[in-house]
Amino acid sequence: MDFNEKRIPIIKIRDYLIVSIQVDMHDRLALQLQTQILEEIYRTGAKGVLIDISTLEMVDSFIGRVLSGMASMAAIMDAAVVIVGMQPAVAITLVELGLEMPGVDTALNMELGMEMLEKRLNKA
Amino acid sequence: MEANTEIKNAKVRIEHIEDVLSSVAAGDLDIRIESEIEDDLTGVEQAINLLIDDLTHELKKSIKMKEDMEDKLRKIQDQQKTILQQQEDLMELSSPVSKVWDNILILPVIGTLDSQRTQIMMENLLLKIVSTGCTTAILDITGVPTVDTQVANHLLKTVTAARLLGAECIVSGISPAIAQTIVHLGINLSNILTKATLQSAMIYAMKKNEQLVDGKVKTNFTDIDDIQL
Amino acid sequence: MNEIVSDKSWILLERCPIQNEHDIVKARQVVRQFGKEAGMGIVDQTRITTAVSELFRNMFLYAGGGEVLVEKGIVDERNTLIVTCIDQGPGIANIELAMTDGYTSGGGMGYGLPGSKRLVDRFEIYSQVNKGTTIRVMKWK
Repeated sequence: MDFNEKRIPIIKIRDYLIVSIQVDMHDRLALQLQTQILEEIYRTGAKGVLIDISTLEMVDSFIGRVLSGMASMAAIMDAAVVIVGMQPAVAITLVELGLEMPGVDTALNMELGMEMLEKRLNKA
Repeated sequence: MEANTEIKNAKVRIEHIEDVLSSVAAGDLDIRIESEIEDDLTGVEQAINLLIDDLTHELKKSIKMKEDMEDKLRKIQDQQKTILQQQEDLMELSSPVSKVWDNILILPVIGTLDSQRTQIMMENLLLKIVSTGCTTAILDITGVPTVDTQVANHLLKTVTAARLLGAECIVSGISPAIAQTIVHLGINLSNILTKATLQSAMIYAMKKNEQLVDGKVKTNFTDIDDIQL
Repeated sequence: MNEIVSDKSWILLERCPIQNEHDIVKARQVVRQFGKEAGMGIVDQTRITTAVSELFRNMFLYAGGGEVLVEKGIVDERNTLIVTCIDQGPGIANIELAMTDGYTSGGGMGYGLPGSKRLVDRFEIYSQVNKGTTIRVMKWK
């Protein structure tokens, strides 16, 4: 791994992990983030993960696959993943690409994403 | 009169005529044959000069005509541009997205949908969802006479894209004709939430948002208490 | 499948080598920038950027890298951004199969080529087994 490689910070607040992706990720960085998040869920026992992608200008099939894979993997570990703040242009492109990401929960912004997780935890 | 005096310096003057003609051929229309001597050759020289005059005149006329044509063409192109611009403006005007209640957007679609218009509509709706933070959007197509495969696919795409943003899209007002078309075309709308009327879509949305409980409207607005529905 | 021909009137904007994953990120940002400069809307910018990202990844994964040409020119009387990906990799034996939704040879999900084609206005592919592949995508302004 390069030393100048940026790590994407994962912040834990109460039962949740908050991740904000603000760089144009290459594939290895995306996979690394996936591992990192799963490890943090394991380490902290977090019940939910909010991934903010509002500054991402592009999600291609690989990154889309990493994101939806992460949701399935976290679900097995009993943590819910919510993808937050996808840009309209990105959503349109993903749908046209053929990646509709079924089963992945989404929210318009952090606040709504947090509410979503809270509702889910209260139900459980 | 002596025979050889009728045409003086014939060789030199014919060479001069040749020079002038080749200059004209090369595009110099200001040149004329000059001669101080009057004899039989003078007539030929004058005739050639007249011909050059005519040529010049015609050429000027055709240049002017070409300019006029180009001018007209430019005007037509400008008009074309204006028409295209107006069409674009019209498209944006014809699909207004309004926030009708806390958290609820409505996009009433009126008139025939073509692929381009649907695309612009879709983008507008998604942008508005993000800018208002509304999680429910109702696409009312009561005013749409017919849809084709492409348009139905665009609608489908819009609903899916809205879900990726974190909003739910309800399609209301599907007419019998459109329902028939959609099923005949083999388009699967089962993943889309559809309601018969705008009213039922609205009631569904308010119930989902817990704004309508037991037939009573709950609201966060300060100027309205409970409204009896 | 015919060989891909260029037009002499096209203007070369940038030439990007694809040797590693950072080059992929850099090259797709270059494409987005030129799309923006050409006056494309945000959705079209995202479409072309995503489409080329798929192609660059394929080049990197299956051919070990290659070269990308970003050009602009007039195609069918429209201002067009042209991105050409050239590699000297193993080539694609069955292009029709590779263009089928869901088909993959490398463990991906198979959205690469067909998905990329859906996002652009024109898609050309030329491949010779053991020699390499050239893919050209175009997006109107």
